[in-house]
Amino acid sequence: MKFTGASINRRQLLRSVGTGFGMVAASSLLAQSQSPVSVLAPKLSHFPGKAKQVIFLFLNGGPSHVDSFDYKPMLEKYDGQPYPAGNLETERRTGHLMRSPFEFKRRGESGIPISEIFSHLGGCIDDICVIKSMYTDMPFHEPSLFMFNSGQRIPGHPSLGSWLTYGLGTENQNLPGYVVLCPGLPVVGPQLWSSAFLPGAYQGTYIRNEDSDPEKLVPNLRNATTGPSQQQSQLDLLGQLNQLHIERHGSAPEFEATIHSMEVAYRMQTEAMDAFDVRRESEATRSMYGEGDFARGCLIARRLIERGVRMVQVYYGSSQPWDTHDDILRMRELTAQSDKPMAALIHDLRTMGLLDETLVVIGGEFGRTPTVEVGGLVAVQNGRDHNNHGFSVLLAGGGVRGGTTYGNTDEFGFKAEESPVHVHDLQATMLHLLGLDHTRLTYRYSGRDFRLTDVHGRVIEEIIA
Amino acid sequence: MRRYSPRCFPAVVEMFLFLVMCTSAQTQSGDPVEFFEMKVRPLLAAQCFACHTATAMGGLVMKSREALLKGGDSGPAIVSGHPDQSLLIQAVRQTHDRLKMPPQSRLAEEQIENLVTWVRAGAVWPDDSPAASAARQEGRYVIRQEQRDFWSFQPPSPVDLPRVKREGWARSPLDHFVLSRLEDEGLDPVEPADRRTLLRRAHFDLTGLPPTLDEVNAFLDDESSDAFQRVVDRLLASPRYGERWGRFWLDLARYSDDKLNSTEDEPYLNAFRYRDWVIQAFNDDLPYDLFVKSQLAGDLLQDQSKEYVGGLGFYAISPQFQDDRVDATTRTFLGLTGGCAQCHDHKFDPIPTEDYYALLGVFNSSEIDEYPLSAEEVVEQYRKEEERLNAEKKALDEFRANQRSQLIEALAHQTSCYIQASWKVLRSNEKEDLDSVTQDQGLDKETLNRWIEYLSTFPRDHPFLDPWDQALASGAKAHRIEEIAQSVEALVISVGREKRRVDEENERRTHGKTRVEIGKTELLSLERDKYFLWRDLASEKEFTAPSKFESGILYYLEEKVDRFLDGVWKSHLDTLSRRVERLEAAMPEKYPFFHVISDKEKASNEHVRIRGNPSNLGEEVPRRFLSILSQSEPRPFTRGSGRLELAEAIASPDNPLTARVMVNRIWLQHFGQGIVRTPSNLGQMGDRPSHPELLDYLALCFVESGWSVKAMHRKIMLSATYALSTRFSEANYKVDPESRLLWRHRPRRLDAEALRDSLLQVSGKLELGVGGVSSRLDDESNLRRTVYGFVSRRRLDTLLALFDFPNPNSSSPRRILTNTPLQGLFFLNSELVARMARALSQRLEVEAGGEEPARISLAYRLLFGRQPSPKEMQIGLSFVNHESDAWARYAQTLLSSNEFLYIN
Repeated sequence: MKFTGASINRRQLLRSVGTGFGMVAASSLLAQSQSPVSVLAPKLSHFPGKAKQVIFLFLNGGPSHVDSFDYKPMLEKYDGQPYPAGNLETERRTGHLMRSPFEFKRRGESGIPISEIFSHLGGCIDDICVIKSMYTDMPFHEPSLFMFNSGQRIPGHPSLGSWLTYGLGTENQNLPGYVVLCPGLPVVGPQLWSSAFLPGAYQGTYIRNEDSDPEKLVPNLRNATTGPSQQQSQLDLLGQLNQLHIERHGSAPEFEATIHSMEVAYRMQTEAMDAFDVRRESEATRSMYGEGDFARGCLIARRLIERGVRMVQVYYGSSQPWDTHDDILRMRELTAQSDKPMAALIHDLRTMGLLDETLVVIGGEFGRTPTVEVGGLVAVQNGRDHNNHGFSVLLAGGGVRGGTTYGNTDEFGFKAEESPVHVHDLQATMLHLLGLDHTRLTYRYSGRDFRLTDVHGRVIEEIIA
Repeated sequence: MRRYSPRCFPAVVEMFLFLVMCTSAQTQSGDPVEFFEMKVRPLLAAQCFACHTATAMGGLVMKSREALLKGGDSGPAIVSGHPDQSLLIQAVRQTHDRLKMPPQSRLAEEQIENLVTWVRAGAVWPDDSPAASAARQEGRYVIRQEQRDFWSFQPPSPVDLPRVKREGWARSPLDHFVLSRLEDEGLDPVEPADRRTLLRRAHFDLTGLPPTLDEVNAFLDDESSDAFQRVVDRLLASPRYGERWGRFWLDLARYSDDKLNSTEDEPYLNAFRYRDWVIQAFNDDLPYDLFVKSQLAGDLLQDQSKEYVGGLGFYAISPQFQDDRVDATTRTFLGLTGGCAQCHDHKFDPIPTEDYYALLGVFNSSEIDEYPLSAEEVVEQYRKEEERLNAEKKALDEFRANQRSQLIEALAHQTSCYIQASWKVLRSNEKEDLDSVTQDQGLDKETLNRWIEYLSTFPRDHPFLDPWDQALASGAKAHRIEEIAQSVEALVISVGREKRRVDEENERRTHGKTRVEIGKTELLSLERDKYFLWRDLASEKEFTAPSKFESGILYYLEEKVDRFLDGVWKSHLDTLSRRVERLEAAMPEKYPFFHVISDKEKASNEHVRIRGNPSNLGEEVPRRFLSILSQSEPRPFTRGSGRLELAEAIASPDNPLTARVMVNRIWLQHFGQGIVRTPSNLGQMGDRPSHPELLDYLALCFVESGWSVKAMHRKIMLSATYALSTRFSEANYKVDPESRLLWRHRPRRLDAEALRDSLLQVSGKLELGVGGVSSRLDDESNLRRTVYGFVSRRRLDTLLALFDFPNPNSSSPRRILTNTPLQGLFFLNSELVARMARALSQRLEVEAGGEEPARISLAYRLLFGRQPSPKEMQIGLSFVNHESDAWARYAQTLLSSNEFLYIN
C-alpha cells in the first residue's frame, strides 16, 4: 500500500519519547524525512541487553513457595510445632508450622528439589533460576499487586510493561507492544497494566483470552463489509486528502502520527488475526500446552513474542485463584491447569531458539506463611496466610543462569534471610537483562523524575549468565 | 552493526537538582567545619539532598565527601582542591555543556563562590554529622522566608500593561503581555486565522462540537465588527457549553458512575446528578468561589444551600480504594501536591506532614451520606416500607434456615439408611430400581438420588468413604455395607456436633469485631478431612468432587426446602412468603438523591501517621488549613468538621493560588497548554509560568469579575492572541518550537468526547438533551452526547479508553493524547464509524440531491465548515465514480481524515 503522507524522522521521535508526544513540535523538515516511526518504534537500549522480550506468567493470589520451589525439610520435621522466632506479622493470625502435603524431588542435572505438583516445570529446572529470597512490603493483595507491577504500593504509576515499551519500543509495528492476557480480571484490574502518566501508547493492550477466535479477542479487527482492495483504495484516498491537508496547514508531528497509526492498523488486520490464532498451531504443539485458558494464554504469548511483541503478561485467572487461605491442597487443581503449559512454554521457546532472548518470569504478588492460618473465618484451617517476608520467583531464559537458585529464606521458609531480593531488585534486574539501567529509565511528570524502581533497586548480577 | 549509546532521555536525568536559595556571601574564615555547616550544608540540604540522597538522581548520592568524590553517572562530582575541574562547580556555574544547575534558574554568585571556596579548601565534610532536615528545628517544622517568597505563594500583583512596539496588533490588554514577550525574543506572531477556522475553533473550544451549516453561514454573512463577539456570546449561552466545560471539571473530580470493585459491577445510581450539577454550574456561570465552596461544603453554606449540595459529589464519589481526598483537594483547587506529605514532609514545597493530617481530619470528620431530592414524606414512606420489607424477608429467611437445619439433622440421622439404599441401586448384581427402593424404605427420592450421585463420584476431598468405595468395587456383602454405613452415620453425626461447637465458639470469639480484627483472632476449625465431609453433606457452598454439586447433598437451597414442610409449618411458610411478595410488589422506586458528605456527629483530629503507617502514630494535629497559605500560625477549625472554614480559606480572594490555578486551567483548554504547563502543580517542582504577569493579570480580572468563568472566556477569546492561525514559521520555530510564547495557535486533536459527538452530529444523528441517567456508550441506540455516557472506574468504555479518556480513579488535570494503531482500527472497522458513515452518505443524498458535486460540497461544509478545493472535488468525484458502495466509503474516509480529527 502507498501512503503519500510525510513522516517523522527518527531523531524527532527519540526526542518525543522524553517529553511526551504532545510536546513535540512541528518542523518543516519533517516533510522531507524518510522512515515512518511511531512512539513505539524500536529504540536502542542503554547497553547491550541479554533479553529482548519478556513473558510474565502471573500466578495471581500469592502462590505458596514452601509447597512449590522452596523445599524446607525442617518444616516437615517440626510440623505442628511453633515457629521458633515468633510468627511474623501477616494479614491474619497464623498458628503452628504446617508441613507441605506435597513431596519434593530433586530434578534435572542441577538437582534442585521441586514439589510433585510442579512435575512438568521440574523437567525444565535446568533452564530456570529460582530466586528463593524475594520479599515485598505488605501482606495485602492490592499494594503488593501494584508493587510487583508498577514498583509502588499505590495506584497511579506506570506498569512494568509500560516502562519497557517506553524504554525499548517494540519490534513489530503491526501489533501492540505490550499485551496482557487474562480470562476476566485480576484483583485491581486494568490499573495493573496502566501507563499512568506515561503516554497512553505504552499502556498494556488487555485481551480476554477465554476465546480462541482472534476476531473475538481484538476489537475492530475485521471489517464486515469492506474487502481488502476496497479498503486499500479508501486508504489511498485518505492519503491524498491528508496530504492536501498538510499542504494547506503545514506539517505537524501529530498529523504524521495519525497517518502512521492508520497504516499500522491496516497491516495489523492480517497480522493480529494470525498472531492471536492458536488454532494455527499443530495438534502436537497444542496438546503439549494442554487445555484451558491459561494454557491458551501461554501459547498466545509465545506466538506474540515470536512476532516481536515486547512484553506479554499472562494472568492465571480472574480475581485471585492462588489465594489459598483455607486449604493448601487446592494447589493441586491450580497446578493441574498451569504446570504443563508453563513447562511447555519454556520447552517450546528453547526448541524455537527463542529462550535466550526471552525472559520468562513466573511468580505472584507474594508467597504464603509456613504456618497454618488460624485467624479469619476460613472454612478450614489447612491453608496459609499471605507472606510478604519471603517467597520465590522463577526466571528462565533471557540471559539468566538456569539450574540455579539464589538466596534463601530461613529454615522454615518464613522470611528471606540469605541475600534478600526486594521486588524493586527484581525489577532492576529485569530491566538490566533487557539492556536498561533502572536508574536512567525515567520520565518527568508533575515536576519530578519517576522511575519503575522509585529510589530503590539493585541488579542481582549473580543470577546473570 | 547495532550501536549502543546512552539514550536521549530528558537532560534532567543526569542533573543535580538545585533549588533557589539565599544565603549571604562570606569568604571562608577560620574553621572549615564551621564553614561547611554554616554555608555549605544548608545549601546542599535545601537544594540538593531532595534528589541526590535517597533519590540518587543521575546516580549521584550527596551524603559524604567520599560520595561526592565517587560522583554519579557523569563521573566524580568534585575534584578536591580543584573547583574548575569539579563537575559540581561547572554545573552551578552553568559552564558545563550538559549539566546546568539548577535546571530552571541559577544560584546567586555568592552561593557559587561558597561552593568554590569549599571545594578549593579540600571539601571538608565532617563524618557522622547527621544531615538534619533543614526544615525541622527541634522537631518543629519551620517555613523559611525564601520558601514563602516562592512565586505562587505571592498574591497576584497588578502591573502596568507592558509597552509594545507593534501598534494596532493588540485587541485586548492581555495581548500586550504576549506581544511584549514575543518582541523581547524577536519573534513575530503569525497572521490571524481565517474566519472559518476561527469559528470552528471557537465552537469546539466552547461546545465540543463543529459549527452547523447555518452557524457557518450566519457568521460569514455577518460583516459587523462585533460578529465574533456575538458568536462567543451565543456559544456561552448554549447548553452545549456546560456539557463541554463541565467535563473538564469532571476529569479533575475523578467522576465515575461506579466503584472500583474487582469482582463485580457496583454502580452509583445517582452519581449522574453530580455530573449534571457541574454542567449546570458552568451553564449558569456559578461564580467559581461559590462553585468551590459548594463542592467542599455545599451543605453548610448559609443561603439556599439546597442549590449547592449537589457539588458534594466531588467527595462523595471519591475512589474508595485509595483515599485521595486530601490530594485531590490540594491539586484541584490549589495546584499543590499535598498528597506528597502523607508519609514525610513534602520534599519540595513547604508542606509538613502535619498539614496533610490537619486536612485529613477534616475529611475524616465527614461521612458519606444521601441528600434526598424528594419530599420528606416520600423519603419517610420509602424508608418505612423498606424496613418492613427487610423485616419480613428476615423472618422468612430465618424460618427457612431453621427448617433447613432441622432437615439436615434429620437426614444426617438417616445416613446409614441412605447409604444402604444407594448400595442396592449401585451394586453390580441384583441392582434394584430407584423408585422401588425409595418406596420400600420410605426415603426421600431426591435425597437418595443425591446420595447415589455422591457415592459414585471420586476422588473426594476426604478419605471417610474410601471403605465404601472398596466395598462397592469388591462386591462386598450387605452386612459389610451396613457396617460401613453405620460407622459413616456415626461420624456424620459427630462431625455435625463438632461443627456446631466450633461455630458457636468462633461466634463468641468474633462477636462485635471488625473484619480486620477477626483476621487477627485465633479461631477454631474442624480438621481438614472432617471439614470436607461436613461440606459435602451440609454446606450451602457448591463443590466439585469431581462432579459438580450445587450445595451439600443434605442442604436444600432457598425455597427448595419448602417441599419438606406441611401442616402448620407449611401454612406459616405460605403466610410469610405472601407477605414478602406483597411488600415487594408494593415497594416504590427509590427516591432520587445526591451523593453527599455530611459532618459526623463528633468531629475529631487525626494523628500524624509516621511514614504513612497507621499503626505508628505521632502527635495529634488540629483540623486546620495549610501552614504556607495561612497568615501566621494556622488557626484550628472550630465549626464541625471544618469543611466550611476550609472552603472559605480556599475560595478566598486572598488565597494566592485559587484564582491562578483556575484561570490557568481555562487557558490550557483554549491553547492546548497552560501558562503553567503543570496545571495541578504550581509548587516548586511544577512548571514556571511562561507569562507570570499575564497569569497575575488574568487572576486579578477573574476575582474582580466576581469569579466569572464566562467572563474569562470572553476576555481570552476576544484577544488577538486567541485569533492567531496555526501557520508554521521556520524562524519562530527555531527559537520556540512549542509556541510557549504564543507566536501561533497549535493544532489539537479531538478528544474522545469531541470525536464521538462530531461523528454523530455531522451524520445528523446526535440527540441533544441535557442531563439524566448515564447510558452505556457501547449501546448502539445511545445517540446522546458522550458526556452523558457511563463512566466506569472498573472497566472504562472501549471507545473512551481508546481515545485517551483519563483514568477516573485519580484527578486528571489534562488529557494526554496518544496515537495508536488500535485507533486506526477504530476508523477502519468499527461499527460506530461504519454506521455514521452510512448515515452521513444518506444525509448527503437527502439534502444535496443526486448531483455528485453538490453532495461533495455539502460534505465539506458539514465536516470542515468550508468548500472543497477544485483538487479535492476532483479526487472525490473520481472516487465516487469508480468505486462500489462509494458514498458510504467516501464518507467514512472523510470522517477518518486529519482535517476532521484536528482543530486548527
